[in-house]
Amino acid sequence: MTAKKGLSKRSKGKVKKMEEAKVGVFLSDCGGQIAKILDFEALTGFLKTVNGVALVARGSEFWRGQGLQAIVDAVKEKKINRVVVAENIPKISEIAITKAVEEAELNPHLVEVLDIKDHCAWPHKDTPKEATEKAKAMLLAAVEKAKLLEPIEKTEFPAVKSVLVIGGGIAGIQAAEDLADMGFQVYLVEKEPFLGGLAAKAVRFFPTDDCAICIQSPTSDLKTVTQTSRKCVYRSGFSEIPNLNVLTNSKIVKVEGAPGNFKVTVERKPRYVNEKKCVACDLCTSVCPVEVPDEYNAKLKTRKAIYVNKPLVYPPVYAIDAKACKFHECAKCVEVCPTKAIELDQKTEHLTLNVGSVIVATGFREYDPSVIKEYHYGEYPDIVTHLELARMLDAFGPTNGTVVRPSDGKPAKRIVFVQCVGSRDRRWNPYCSSICCMISLKHATLIKSAFPDTDVTICYIDIRTTGREHEYYYERAREIGVKFVKGRPAEIVHDPATNTLVVEVEDELLRRLLELEADLVVLATAMVSSENARELAEILGIELDQDGFFKEYNAKLRPTETKRRGIFLCGGATFPKDAPTASLHAHSAAVKAAKFLMNGKIVKDLKVAVVNEDYCGDCEFCPVTCPYGAITLEPKGEGHFVARVSELLCEGCGVCVGTCPVGAIELRHLKPSQISAQMKALLSINGTSKPLVLAISCSECGNAAIDSSGMAMMSYPANVRVLRVPCTGIVQVQHILEAFKAGAQGVMVVGCKPDGCHYEVGSQKTHKKVELAKTLLKAYGIEPERLEMFNLVYIEGDKFAEAAKMMTERVEKLGSLQLA
Amino acid sequence: MAEEKPEKPSTVDFAREITSKLGGETITYCYQCGTCASSCPVAKTTDRYNPRQILRLALLGQRGEVLTEDAIWLCASCYNCQERCPQKVEIADVIYALRNIAISEGNIPAIYTEFATGLMSEGRIVPISKFLEKKRADYGLPPLKPTGIEALKKILSATGFDKIMFKKGESQ
Amino acid sequence: MTSYALFLGCTIPARQPQYELSARKALTKLGIELIDLENMTCCAPPPLQSIDLETSLAVAAYNICLAEEADLNMITLCTGCFESLAMANRLLKEKPELKERVNKILANAGKEFKGNKEVRHYLQVLMNDVGINSIKQNIIKPLNNLKVAAFSGCHLLRPSALLRFDDPERPRIFDTLIEALGAKSIWYKNKLRCCGGLLRGYADDVALAIARDKIVNAHNASADCISTLCPFCFLTLDLGQVLIKTTYKEEYNMPIIHYAELLSLSLGVEPKELALDFHKVKIDKVMEKIG
Repeated sequence: MTAKKGLSKRSKGKVKKMEEAKVGVFLSDCGGQIAKILDFEALTGFLKTVNGVALVARGSEFWRGQGLQAIVDAVKEKKINRVVVAENIPKISEIAITKAVEEAELNPHLVEVLDIKDHCAWPHKDTPKEATEKAKAMLLAAVEKAKLLEPIEKTEFPAVKSVLVIGGGIAGIQAAEDLADMGFQVYLVEKEPFLGGLAAKAVRFFPTDDCAICIQSPTSDLKTVTQTSRKCVYRSGFSEIPNLNVLTNSKIVKVEGAPGNFKVTVERKPRYVNEKKCVACDLCTSVCPVEVPDEYNAKLKTRKAIYVNKPLVYPPVYAIDAKACKFHECAKCVEVCPTKAIELDQKTEHLTLNVGSVIVATGFREYDPSVIKEYHYGEYPDIVTHLELARMLDAFGPTNGTVVRPSDGKPAKRIVFVQCVGSRDRRWNPYCSSICCMISLKHATLIKSAFPDTDVTICYIDIRTTGREHEYYYERAREIGVKFVKGRPAEIVHDPATNTLVVEVEDELLRRLLELEADLVVLATAMVSSENARELAEILGIELDQDGFFKEYNAKLRPTETKRRGIFLCGGATFPKDAPTASLHAHSAAVKAAKFLMNGKIVKDLKVAVVNEDYCGDCEFCPVTCPYGAITLEPKGEGHFVARVSELLCEGCGVCVGTCPVGAIELRHLKPSQISAQMKALLSINGTSKPLVLAISCSECGNAAIDSSGMAMMSYPANVRVLRVPCTGIVQVQHILEAFKAGAQGVMVVGCKPDGCHYEVGSQKTHKKVELAKTLLKAYGIEPERLEMFNLVYIEGDKFAEAAKMMTERVEKLGSLQLA
Repeated sequence: MAEEKPEKPSTVDFAREITSKLGGETITYCYQCGTCASSCPVAKTTDRYNPRQILRLALLGQRGEVLTEDAIWLCASCYNCQERCPQKVEIADVIYALRNIAISEGNIPAIYTEFATGLMSEGRIVPISKFLEKKRADYGLPPLKPTGIEALKKILSATGFDKIMFKKGESQ
Repeated sequence: MTSYALFLGCTIPARQPQYELSARKALTKLGIELIDLENMTCCAPPPLQSIDLETSLAVAAYNICLAEEADLNMITLCTGCFESLAMANRLLKEKPELKERVNKILANAGKEFKGNKEVRHYLQVLMNDVGINSIKQNIIKPLNNLKVAAFSGCHLLRPSALLRFDDPERPRIFDTLIEALGAKSIWYKNKLRCCGGLLRGYADDVALAIARDKIVNAHNASADCISTLCPFCFLTLDLGQVLIKTTYKEEYNMPIIHYAELLSLSLGVEPKELALDFHKVKIDKVMEKIG
């Protein structure tokens, strides 16, 4: 799993003598187009003089057809063992070329593709002679690098075709069902004794007002359901899919192992009712003497110590509340149970599950608004939250569907809703919970439709109805007479004489201070992350965002993935969501988890970092810096530690390389010797009258910006030379000094935006390093202005061209660099 | 000293001017929810004052209107709005910042000149009468210790407080 | 014996000897030594903050420096002084750049704010240094369930982020101290709302309307008196009732009594020692009730 063997061998020097490099260089003139600018005769002539070049060929294209065949033939005939191709759009052509080379039985990592069109011919089209000289330098750099390339092998890691889904709300249920339908072994773990989560309590969903606990039926071959039907969760048959296991009353306590092969420990609290025996006859509750507030019904009524939630979701069997039950002291339920289902001696169990991936679907919850003292929640009983109101609106609920004042049970005739309670509030939760406006509209509409003579007012800051059909819902609420006051109330006051609540609010549109009398005030509270989010995140080794929700890898591109491979997110765990969005997210997470495990193995090129254990020791820079948690410290000798790289987790960015103070870690796919060789070659030929500037660019946004400036034929001077690295995070201060020594008069570092780095932290780290290098340069007597970092993206090709020009002019002004 | 100040541009620059002042830093967080207005004991009493509206005008760059009209002087500094502001706008402090700007431009309500005069002459904003001094002695209260008026004058001149308050007098 | 540098401020010595007398007597009886320092000035309250916040901070800091030099924590009676000084103390302790800015100013007066002392309102001293039990033990004349409408004044509680005196929406300290005397701290409408005092002198009509609200609410709750901590609140509500009589033609006769006075009385200080003639609204009703 780790790179232990490979490393120490390599570090002891080249054990296996490499075969002598015979480089074949293939020059595409892009159908003759760039030959109008670059002198191809000169290029081929030059290449033939370069040591190690065994073959030079020119063609119109080399990434398909005859051109590609020419490469394959040369490899097969063993004329060459290194391939350099100058081709258009290297990122794409490289795929075809390496594949063909691999089929010709040469390691695909012995191929170097470069772009002399967009990186040379086009941007320097006005100075063709200079462009030709620069192309020579670029080709030389590619050849020198190619000579030093070494084969990189593939490795396989196990991927267990089994998934753990944490959280049995609608998101978790749907993700579990999808995966089970696809044939994966699925464990659905829920901390409560019943599935359903918030959805089960919410009763109805906007904007259709349909049942909250409706899901798509499983596609498995069950006679009771058709493939396309929607069903209530309890009768959907999802629980009967043979490879889906539901574990209620359970939570995750430990996760070990690696992505694809996790060992998860689940703690399962006893239900005290045997699920296989209980027939839900209700005899037990009729004899149970213990009455406790019913949390499921927002404590608006009581329930017995043995109980079942209604409406039913799953499983359809009773459970005992261990905090309330008197157990053997009473045991009345045991006596009456006709099927002997009650087992008071059940114990907590610990199960170990072997799963390939984990989906977190822990949802969200209502924020406790009692901290907002001016609203007096918890102090005045007639102030309730939406979830409490939802329970009232449920015909199964504590008030059988009527809306009453909890203080005296009288019908609530005047109801005021307060929006943004504890959300959009920098004292508590600064974000907008996104669904509360719609929940208020839903509840106002339901109340107004059922009890038209009820006065319903919504106090709001902004009404946000951004989803499909949501605005129509708002329209409908106005149509049926819901009133809206633009203004956030300052306080809810209770008049003890009349037992009335008074909501103090400014109607901003009237610029008038109102005192709205109400029988019931409903707080649209913030929706916050699940209670155990932080604990779970720690167990899983994943991050929470600033608001306490689980953080996805990338909100736009990888909305269900986390930084830790094999661990996925869906539903309200990442942010409050309405049901359609939660479903969408759940299905998407299921697909990602399936894709990760579907082959039963994870195949990976070992383009990873390796540690030289002779140099490494006792510092923790790289493990702390690695954005993927791929580096750990392992004991070596007494009291000493060395870094160990997980080949599975390493993404090969090289941020660790840039961090290591002693040069003890390197990338297998871009060794220090390869960087030096390229740098020297790029700066060995100038051919322009201007001072050489080296641009060290990342392979992601940085290179894309350089590509796009070339594609758009934006010109910049040919003295600017590009050295591509995976991520600018690899850059060490020493590289910069080396560049100046090799003849650069200026150095540009071109990377992604600091918050958009493809390797998370690379760009930020480099920014700091560049600042540090500037102070060092000063100490060496080099003007710090000769070094600058630029953070660009693809659509900023113009900015790259400008930067290249700017740096050239700046360096020209500074005059020739004199190194001591 | 220039006879007349050029009118400052009446744009969003005003918000920037306020945020650069002590007390005014948080004004741009305001999203006009009205919590301040409905928290305000003064706004409940008179429609001459509405803190939300002052912030609104300021954020829209209505510099002249904000600084010359009556409203900013009607805050009772009870800080109720500030406690409750969901955006943590330090509203009472923003009002101080606005008053500071208004006063620096010579818009000084008479009562403030009175306070400042007391402070600069005696180190106290409420002067002590002979009658009170006698009463104090009668009741056995210790004689009042002298104020640090000399040190105070140095502080007031270091911050330019004396000039802020009394420059108008010179030019008129 | 715990010692404090007493910060008297301007209004109490100039207008309300009954406050100073009762506070000095009560605190001394309860084992707090009050030390009068030379060279204190005005605390730089809201009117000066309105003129220039920077100057106000510097003036407040100057006064704290005097306590620092005497190696004493500071005790205030006036809620307004408490706010100005405690706020400055907290701000300067928490914001190094602001401290530096103020110290540059203070250097002109040969002072440097160090930030090693606390500014406390005397209620905090009663709660923490003396303690409720000790107060109860020292009570000679309990207040016979006197119905007290507690009114701490805004600046004891707010801005809470800087003052950190008590929960700004559900304060308990003042009520606890009232009840420790054998009185009853009653609920009345808008208990925490401002008295409008700071608008006196600029908008007397508005100030009076707000003060009247306060009186009416206490009256409607059948309070025997309103208890204050701040000399401005006292003035606004006490003198205010004279103005209400002329402006609104209403008479409430709601006694306004500083907590220190109630405390002194319950500790057995003779009424004649307390300059009670400084009350505009006579407090005979209260004296009768507590015997």
